[in-house]
Amino acid sequence: MLYSLNAKREILLVGNSLPLTFRANFWLVGMARISYRLLPLPIFVLVVSLLFYQSAGLNSEGQYLLDIKSRIGDTYNHLSNWNPNDSTPCGWKGVDCTSDYNPVVWCLDLSSMNLSGSLSPSLGGLVHLTLLNLSFNALSQNIPGEIGSCSSLELLYLNNNLFEGQLPVELARLSCLTALNIANNRISGPFPDQIGNLSSLSLLIAYSNNITGPLPASLGNLKRLRTFRAGQNLISGSLPSEIGGCESLEYLGLAQNQLSGEIPKEIGMLQNLTDLILLSNQISGPIPMELSNCTYLRTLALYDNKLVGPIPKELGNLECLKRLYLYRNKLNGTIPREIGNLSSALEIDFSENELTGEIPIELKNIAGLSLLYIFENKLTGVIPVELTTLENLTKLDLSANYLTGTIPVGFQHLKHLIMLQLFGNSLSGVIPQGLGVYGKLWVVDLSNNHLTGRIPRHLCRNENLILLNMGSNNLTGYIPSGVQHCKPLVQLHLAENGLAGSFPSDLCKLANLSSLELDQNTFTGPIPPEIGQCHALQRLHLSGNYFTGELPKEIGKLSQLVFFNVSTNSLTGVIPAEIFSCRMLQRLDLTRNHFVGALPGEIGDLSQLEILKLSENQLSENIPVEVGKLSRLTELQMGGNSFSGDIPAELGGISSLQIALNLSYNNLTGPIPAELGNLVLLEFLLLNDNHLSGEIPGAFDKLSSLLGCNFSNNDLTGPLPSLPLFQKTSISSFLGNKGLCGGPLGNCNESPQLSSHPSDTKGTSVRLGKIIAIISAVIGGISLILIIVIIHFMRRPVDMVAPLQDTPPSSLVSDIYFSPKDGFTFQDLVVATENFDDSFILGRGACGTVYKAVMRCGRIIAVKKLASNREGNTIDNSFQYAYTMKVTEKCDIYSYGVVLLELLTGRAPVQPLDQGGDLVSWVRSYIQAHSLSPGMLDERINLQDQNTIPHMITAMKIALLCTSMSAP
Amino acid sequence: MAHLYRLSIVLSFILTVSPSLSTNTEGNALHALRSRLSDPTNVLQSWDPTLVNPCTWFHVTCDSSNHVTRLDLGNSNISGTLGPELGELRHLKYLELYRNDIGGKIPKELGNMKNLVSMDIYGNRFEGEIPKSFAMLKSLRFLRLNNNKLSGSIPRELTTLKDLKVFDVSNNDLCGTIPVDGPFASFPMESFENNKLNGPELKGLVPYDFGC
Repeated sequence: MLYSLNAKREILLVGNSLPLTFRANFWLVGMARISYRLLPLPIFVLVVSLLFYQSAGLNSEGQYLLDIKSRIGDTYNHLSNWNPNDSTPCGWKGVDCTSDYNPVVWCLDLSSMNLSGSLSPSLGGLVHLTLLNLSFNALSQNIPGEIGSCSSLELLYLNNNLFEGQLPVELARLSCLTALNIANNRISGPFPDQIGNLSSLSLLIAYSNNITGPLPASLGNLKRLRTFRAGQNLISGSLPSEIGGCESLEYLGLAQNQLSGEIPKEIGMLQNLTDLILLSNQISGPIPMELSNCTYLRTLALYDNKLVGPIPKELGNLECLKRLYLYRNKLNGTIPREIGNLSSALEIDFSENELTGEIPIELKNIAGLSLLYIFENKLTGVIPVELTTLENLTKLDLSANYLTGTIPVGFQHLKHLIMLQLFGNSLSGVIPQGLGVYGKLWVVDLSNNHLTGRIPRHLCRNENLILLNMGSNNLTGYIPSGVQHCKPLVQLHLAENGLAGSFPSDLCKLANLSSLELDQNTFTGPIPPEIGQCHALQRLHLSGNYFTGELPKEIGKLSQLVFFNVSTNSLTGVIPAEIFSCRMLQRLDLTRNHFVGALPGEIGDLSQLEILKLSENQLSENIPVEVGKLSRLTELQMGGNSFSGDIPAELGGISSLQIALNLSYNNLTGPIPAELGNLVLLEFLLLNDNHLSGEIPGAFDKLSSLLGCNFSNNDLTGPLPSLPLFQKTSISSFLGNKGLCGGPLGNCNESPQLSSHPSDTKGTSVRLGKIIAIISAVIGGISLILIIVIIHFMRRPVDMVAPLQDTPPSSLVSDIYFSPKDGFTFQDLVVATENFDDSFILGRGACGTVYKAVMRCGRIIAVKKLASNREGNTIDNSFQYAYTMKVTEKCDIYSYGVVLLELLTGRAPVQPLDQGGDLVSWVRSYIQAHSLSPGMLDERINLQDQNTIPHMITAMKIALLCTSMSAP
Repeated sequence: MAHLYRLSIVLSFILTVSPSLSTNTEGNALHALRSRLSDPTNVLQSWDPTLVNPCTWFHVTCDSSNHVTRLDLGNSNISGTLGPELGELRHLKYLELYRNDIGGKIPKELGNMKNLVSMDIYGNRFEGEIPKSFAMLKSLRFLRLNNNKLSGSIPRELTTLKDLKVFDVSNNDLCGTIPVDGPFASFPMESFENNKLNGPELKGLVPYDFGC
C-alpha cells in the first residue's frame, strides 16, 4: 500500500548527509602536539579544587572531572567507574591520559552516552585536553566560556545535543582548534566576530541551530578552512566578499538560511571549492560568471533563491561538475549551448525559471547525463531528437513549457529511462508505440498535449509503471491490455480523450490501483460488479461517458473510496444503499443520470462527506432527515429531482454548508424551516420552483454570507426578511409566489400586486394560463372590435400622445414618450423621480420598472418606465401601446386588457397610489367590494340601453382575464 | 545514488496525486503547510509531497487550470502554525481553517493571496496582530477571525476592502477603536464584542485610542 511517485526531486539534504568521522590525520596531529606546559589556572579552578579538597588522593584533573560528572544526568551509569578514591582519572570511562610519568587528561570522549544536564565550567581546568567529544547526548544550557581555557584543544565535538545560548567569545582563544562541530543544537546569536582568530580551523560545522545575524567578515581569515557548513540557521545579510580569502575552502554550505544580497564575485577565488550549496535563501542578482574559475566544483546548488539574469555560458567550463541545480529562481534568457560542455554532469535541473528559447541540442554531448529537468519554463521549439542519444538518461521532465512537435521516437530505445514527463506542452502526433519495451518505465505523464493515436501497448512491459497520465489529449482506441494488467499501477488518468470501450474491469485486479480517472471519454456499457474488487481505489472519476445500467451494489466494497463521480452518464435504477458503506467518501457526485426512487437515510452515515451532488435525476420521496448529520458538508446539490414533502429542519444544522444549498426544481411543500437561518456560512440558497408555502423565515436575516438566493415560483407569502441582500436581489428571485412583499417587491401595505403578481412565463401553470388568455383574447377580439367602434363614437376623443419635443435632460430618458394627461408633463415626472433614480423604484417587472413619483400637487402616482430600449419606452406602457401599436410579445395580453379597462371605465391607467396605483388594481378592489356591477363603467356612456351593459360586462371579464394572466 | 535516496523517500509516502499543469509552487506551499501542522486524525495523509500537482489531494479543490482555489480544513483537529509559504497560493479563493488548534501569528504573506474571497480562521489560537497586508486582499468578502487571541488594533487599511461583507473579530484581545469607514459602516457590533475595543472611532476628533 505504501507507494508513492516521485515525480519531482527531494530537497538536496545538505544538513545531515556528511557522516561525522574523526579524521585520522587530525588525531595524529593531536598526539604530536601534546604539551606538558602548565598554564596558570583561572580562579574558578581554585575554587573547585578547594571544594574537592577532602578527596585528597585524586589529582586536580580528576576533581574537575568529578565536578563535570556532578552536573550530568547519567541514566545508564556510563560513568559509574569514575571513582573519587582513584588517584588519577586515567582509568575512567571516556577519559584518556598521556602515557608518560606524569599523565594528564588529553582526551575526553563521552559521546553517545545518553547524558543530560549541563556542562560545568570546571571543564576549563582540563588544560591539556586536545579532544573533547560530547556529541550525541542531551546536554543543555550554555556552552561555558571557560572552554576558552582549554588552550590545547584541537578537536571539539558538541554536536547533537541541546546546547543553547550564544557561542562563547572565548572559543576564539582556541588557537589550536582544527575542528569545531556544534551542529544540531539550539545555539542562537551570531557567530562571534573573533571567529577569524581560529587560524588552525579546518572544519566548522554548525548546521541546524538558531544562529542569527550576518556572517562575520573575519571568516575570510580562516586560510585553512576546508569545510564550512551552517545550513538550517537564521543567518541573514549577504555572503561577505571576504569569503574569497578562505583559500582552502572545499565545501561551503549555507542552505536554508535568510541570506540576501548577491553572490560575491570573490567566490571565484575559491580555487579548491568542490561544493557550493546556497539553496533556499533569498539571494538575488545574477549568477557570477567568476564561478567558472572554481574548476573543481562538483556540486552547484543555488536553487530556491531569487537569482535573475541568464545562466552564464562560462559555467560550461566546469568540467568536474556533476550536479547543477539552478531551479526555482527567476533566471531568464536561453539555455547556453556551452552547458553541453559539462562532460561530467549527471544531473541538471533548470526547472521553475523563466528560461526561453529552445533546448540546446548540445546537451547530447553529456554522455553520462542521468537527470534532465527543465519543467516550468517558457521553452519553445521541439524536443531535440538528439536527446534520444543520451543513453544514461533515467529521468526527463520537460513539462509545462511551450514545446511543439512530436515526441522523438528514439525515447523508446532508452534502456534506463524510468520517468518521462512532458505534460502541459503543445506536443502533437503519435506517442512512440515502442515506449516501455526497453526502459523500466515508472512514471509517464504526457497529459495536456495534443497527442493523437493510441496508447502504447508496452508501457508496463517491465512491470514497473506506477503512474500513467495521458489525460487531456486526443487519444482514441481502447485501453491496451498491457495497461489493464499492469500490476504495479497506482494511478491511471486517461480523462478527456476519445477513448472507447466498456469499463476496463481487469483494472480492478490491480491491488494497488488507488486512482482511476476515465472521465470525458466515450466509454459505454454498464459499470460491472467487478468494480468491487478495486479495494485500494480512493478516487474514481467516470463522469461524462455513456455508461448505462444500474450502479452495482458491489461499489459498497470500496472501503477506501474518497472521491466518486459518475455524473453525466445514463445510469438508471435506484441509488444502491451499499454505496453508503463507503465511509471514507468525501465527494459524491451522481448528477445528470436517471436515478430514481428515494434517497436512503443511510446517506447520513457518510460522516466525511464534504460535497454531495444529486442534481438532475428523478429521485423522489422525502429528503431524508439524516442529511442533516453530514456535519462536514460544504455543498448540497439536489435540484432538478422530484423530492417531495417538507424540507427537513435538520438541514439547518449543517453549519459547514458554504458553497451552496440547492433544492430547486423539486416538489417540496410546507414551510421553509427557520433553522436554515443558522447556515451563517452559506453563500447560495436556491429553493425556487417548488411548492413551498408560508413566509420566508425572519431568521434568514442571519444569513450574513449569502451572495445569491432564489425563492421564485413557490407559494410563499408575507414580507421578506430584512437581510440587505434581499433588498438588492433581482425581483425575479421572488416572482411567482402568492404574496411576497417588502424589499424590491414594494411596500407590503400599499401595493403588493404591483410586483409580487405571478409573471414567470417559464412555469407550466403560467404557460397554461397563457394559452387560456390567448384563446380568450381571440374569442373576445371580434366583440371587442364592435365595442371599440361603438364606444369610440360615444366617448370624447383622447388626446393623442405627442413625442417629446424638448431636449431630454439626459440620455437616460432620451427616448421616453410621455402623455400630458392628468395635468402633468414629462418634465414633471423627471423632477418627481429625480431623473428616474433607483431610490424611487417601487418594483421591477419583466416589461419595466415602476417608480413612485410625488407630484407638485401632493398626489402620489406610480410611473412605469419600459425596460425595452429605444423602441417604445413609455411612461405608461398600456396606454402607450394602445396608440403607438408598439406591442411586445411579453406584454401584449396584459396591455390589451388594460386598454379594454380604460375604454370601459373611462379612467386613466395611472391611478393614485391610495387607490391601488394602477387601473387593474382599482378595478379589482372595486369588484371585491361591489362585484361586477355597472358602477365602475364610464359614467359618460349612455347606460340606459339595456344591451350595452351586458356587452361591456363581457368585455370587462375578458379584460380581467388578460390582466390576471401576464402582469408585466 | 541520489536516485536510490529518492526511491527511499518515495516509498515512504502514500500515493494519491497526479502531476499536471499547475505550478509546483502551490504543491510546495501546501506541503510546507502540512509540515507545520500536527495531524492526529490523518486528514492530510493524502498530501503527497513528492508530486507537482495537489489537485487530487483531499480537502483541496482546484480550478480547470489546476490551480488551488479551496482549502477545506475546518474542524479537522489540526494544530501547529501557518507559515509564509501559504501566501504562494495565489489563486486561492477559500481558506477554511476554522475550529482547529492552530496558533502563532497570522503570516503577513497571506496578504499575497490576491484572489481570496473568504478567510475563515476563526476558532483557533492565533495571536499577534491582524496583518495590515490583508488590505491587499481586494476580492475579500468574508474575514472571520473571531475566537482567537489576536491583539493590537484593527488595521485602518482594511477599510479599503470595498467588497468586505462579513468581518468578525469577536472574542479576541483587540484594542483601540473600531473603524467606521468603508464596509465597516455596516458591520454589526456583535462582530467586535469581547475585545478591549474602545468603540467606534470618532471622525474629525482627536483620536482617543487608549492602550493601543
